[in-house]
Amino acid sequence: MPTNSALRSLLQLASPTLPVGAYSYSEGLEALADKITSAASLDHWLRQELRYGAVRLEAAVMIRAYRSSLAQDFLALTDWNRWLSATRETEELRSQSWQMGRSLLRLIQDLQENEITTLLLKQDCNFAIAFGTVAARWQIDEQSATIGYLHSWATNLIGAGIKLIPLGQTAGQRLLLELDEELDRATQEILTLQDDDLSSCGWGLSLASMAHETLYSRLFRS
Amino acid sequence: MNQPRSVSTKTAPTDWHGSLCLEFATRQGATQLSHSQAKAPLKTQRPFYPEGSEVCHSVIMHTAGGIVGGDRLSVNICLKPNAQALITTAAASKVYRTNGREARQMIHIDVASGACLEWLPQETIVFNQAVYRQDMRVNLAPDASWLGWEITRFGRSARGERFIEGNWRSHTEVWQHDRPIWVDRQWLPGSEEVFTSPHGLASSPVVASFAWIGRSIEPEWVEKARSVWVGNGEIGVTRLMSGLLCRYRGASTMEARQWLIEVWRLARSESLDRPICIPRVWQL
Repeated sequence: MPTNSALRSLLQLASPTLPVGAYSYSEGLEALADKITSAASLDHWLRQELRYGAVRLEAAVMIRAYRSSLAQDFLALTDWNRWLSATRETEELRSQSWQMGRSLLRLIQDLQENEITTLLLKQDCNFAIAFGTVAARWQIDEQSATIGYLHSWATNLIGAGIKLIPLGQTAGQRLLLELDEELDRATQEILTLQDDDLSSCGWGLSLASMAHETLYSRLFRS
Repeated sequence: MNQPRSVSTKTAPTDWHGSLCLEFATRQGATQLSHSQAKAPLKTQRPFYPEGSEVCHSVIMHTAGGIVGGDRLSVNICLKPNAQALITTAAASKVYRTNGREARQMIHIDVASGACLEWLPQETIVFNQAVYRQDMRVNLAPDASWLGWEITRFGRSARGERFIEGNWRSHTEVWQHDRPIWVDRQWLPGSEEVFTSPHGLASSPVVASFAWIGRSIEPEWVEKARSVWVGNGEIGVTRLMSGLLCRYRGASTMEARQWLIEVWRLARSESLDRPICIPRVWQL
């Protein structure tokens, strides 16, 4: 169990009100209007992402950034950041990750300036890297940080689904609640993944995000 | 009953440790295969020059017919400064059902300054229950480029087979200036769920990726590459940090290849100022 202070920090870092603009992205969902048409199909998509998808890899790199920050290993932190940028499926997913990463770093810089955020602000920093660094600094344990990362990701995409499908707020909350076990399972797996096992099944997300980049009219950002 | 034409393809000796080493260098503007070493079951045909001496074409052959569990294939390609090479394979590659062990292929490519490698193998057919892993690492010098594709069919779909058991991984990494430009760590665990899900294959057995790396790409290229697509599958195009990426998911290797050939044609006229030259072994 996290300490009270770590729990408060986690709630703040994983909160949908964290001003990084997560709500303005649908991660390809907007281009899947013909495939994701119900709570059940959104639930299926989120589960596939957690079991095989890019978010699993992202969270695993978040943990590596967490560990590198704790060890003050700036070289490793930079390497993992570059590596994650190179794995992004599309230009829009890469831009999203960099924009959210930069916003989080600037926020932290305003709140409590420190060496690592200063260093990371000099590069295109992925959100997962910034998140892991802040979680380490705020002394949130690895498991809680991973749950927080995945939970805020799921909350955000369910929010996008509520607008796009559309779904009622209650249906959205039910969906989130029903993901509990899946999130736990993903967290356990992510914490034990070896570097060599960092791979993902990306066809659906990749094609959806590529299609979204060229959508003529849309609610969500590229 | 007829005897199978080649028994050895069906009972390939276990634990092949095949390797292939090719080095290309230029001499007075011509690209030559300056060094070549092969260990069975890998082999190359004699290099040839269907489009003149500047571009050397090479064809890799797998003489055992396919890859089985326990096999280790290792391919090393090196392009010296300004060399231009096109490498393809003589036939579709096959990865057979596993005997319990993983089959692996490792490909290492170094492309020196001013050189360009076009890596255009024919498709790989991954049998149901295959366990396969491929690792490809490409190192580009500052002024080098690499264009490559990978076309994969999951299951022998002509006979109704689907890839629902087994495991497939294909890791591709392209580095330049000691930094990763593109890291593509594809994984397809064999399962009914992943095969049918819109998140995975959406019941389409064929996927393909095409990447052109080593130069910055104008945003218009995304539309250009999309505009030459004709077919029934799904496609997408995006820009990499320093390059272009195209993906295909559908039912036809022919349809995928035809599109990617058109994108290749565009890329060639842009970067090499040269028309494409279809290798005869493709039998299109």
